Amino acid sequence: MSDVQEATNQLLDVNLHENWSSIQVTESGPRSESEHLQVTIGATVPTGFEQTAADEVREKLGSSCKISKDRGKIYFDISVESLAQVHCLRSVDNLFVVVKEFKDYQFKETKEEVLKDFEELAGKLPWSDPLKVWKINTNFKKKKTKRKKINQNTDSHILDYYENPAIKEEISTLVGDDLASYKDEKDESSKEETHPKMLKFRVTCNRAGEKHCFSSNEAARDFGGAVQDYFKWKADMTNFDVEVLLNIHDSEIVVGIALTEESLHRRNITHFGPTTLRSTLAYGMLRLCAPQPTDIIVDPMCGTGAIPIEGATEWSNCYHIAGDNNPLAVDRAANNISSLLTKSQIKEGEVSWGLPIDAVQWDICNLPLRTGTVDIIVTDMPFGKRMGSKKRNWNLYPACLREMSRVCRPGTGRAALLTQDKKCFTKALSGMGHVWRKVHTVWVNIGGLHAAVYLLKRTPQAFVHPSEQDGERTPW
Amino acid sequence: MKLLTHNLPSSHVQGVGPRGFPLHLQATEVRINPMEFNPDFLACMIPKVEWAVLLEAADTLHLVEVPKGLTEGYDHDEKFLRQMHHVLLEEDVLEGTLQCPESGHLFPISRRIPNMLLSDEETET
Repeated sequence: MSDVQEATNQLLDVNLHENWSSIQVTESGPRSESEHLQVTIGATVPTGFEQTAADEVREKLGSSCKISKDRGKIYFDISVESLAQVHCLRSVDNLFVVVKEFKDYQFKETKEEVLKDFEELAGKLPWSDPLKVWKINTNFKKKKTKRKKINQNTDSHILDYYENPAIKEEISTLVGDDLASYKDEKDESSKEETHPKMLKFRVTCNRAGEKHCFSSNEAARDFGGAVQDYFKWKADMTNFDVEVLLNIHDSEIVVGIALTEESLHRRNITHFGPTTLRSTLAYGMLRLCAPQPTDIIVDPMCGTGAIPIEGATEWSNCYHIAGDNNPLAVDRAANNISSLLTKSQIKEGEVSWGLPIDAVQWDICNLPLRTGTVDIIVTDMPFGKRMGSKKRNWNLYPACLREMSRVCRPGTGRAALLTQDKKCFTKALSGMGHVWRKVHTVWVNIGGLHAAVYLLKRTPQAFVHPSEQDGERTPW
Repeated sequence: MKLLTHNLPSSHVQGVGPRGFPLHLQATEVRINPMEFNPDFLACMIPKVEWAVLLEAADTLHLVEVPKGLTEGYDHDEKFLRQMHHVLLEEDVLEGTLQCPESGHLFPISRRIPNMLLSDEETET
């Protein structure tokens, strides 16, 4: 059994234990109407990382997941009490509560008939429980921040709910955390609570499939019309309270209500660069490597630092180093780290807690690190599209892989490398079988590009300088 | 740059090889950056640290609390762990230099970030 597998198995054992304890907690809770409410939550995740997200859900919520055929979505059941924790999941982008799922919806022949069916559907769905969940959720979800100009002050307003004390289920502390800019939104929502029927809503329809005779706009329009008639809500495409989701994938239809206003993937980064990686994707990549306590985790091409920052917040018992050759990138990474510190300062009140992360400016082809001292390498390699060039990659990739194999600890070291230039990568890797072994490949979609995350394991063979064969360089 | 980070890099100037470690630290500006005390992390991390390097660095920063060697049962000695926590993680070098012990090359540290880039003549091809 490989080391990574063993580590993963150990983690799984721990997960099972957590599974048991969370079940016991819900069963011993006091009886009240909404507390035994079980709901199905759907989450969108970066495509390719459905399994990683499912693992996180099992580990943190104790629920098992169903991965839908519609790529990039997972479903799981929880009791309403765990709702705050759902917002703390690191591998999900958006959350919604499922109103109804049709596994094999029978579409009628003509467009008119199909749309008429949607209209009639609106009144027949079991809305009451999901709406209760939506109502409870308004306290937990991250309100849409008004992003005007990012300056020192507004940085501190970008609170992240994964850090909020609601984990301890004290909604009052959450209110205390809100800064002045949120007061307006709070006033609005309290007004609306006295007039529950004046809710504003919109319908978002996502349709995928070849045999549909209607468009997503038409479905959204007609379904939305019926929803409006049923609830007497006001339709508003931009300033809405309730977002109804109509997801159609071939013959699978899911009707849901959104629980997040803004995708959770923007959490850690305030200073974006040209190719900043989604935090949810960074989390997925790190998780693939199964970090162990006190592992040294390096991102030698960190850019804005999305990966090490995600690592430092989630795996704070490891040590993270972010490096890049570009001074702008290192600067941004340092700024993002400082912004994180500001956030935790607000949460704690007085002291700002540092994070186990540092930034260095270096050249990946010549890393100033001793041989075999790094446990995990996770990085987003230049695709050769927005950053670098395909031609440059032919030289860069082999040099990177070689240098990374040098600093990575033989036997236990591992690397998760994201790239779209799969051809170049595979070629570069083919000459390195004595140091790198490919364990797993995850196919992902990055902004429309088909990319892959390669999980590599460092073989036990010690690094040998090419010079030790032909005597050009000083052996390390 | 924290002292735990200082423990890792070495000089990669051409021809230097293993004599490029450790880099001599000089600090002109240091800040204390409080961090949450994590005894388990420290207990496991301390054996991985190059002790002589840490001693020298702590000396340069005029931190007197680092003992010369590890004593038996250090991982249960909370006072010791707290001292190490402070030295390794809370002392942050904002401005300074790292010097290659073999070639004498100076790598600057500016706004907490060490710049380890070398010019073309200095790098190994």
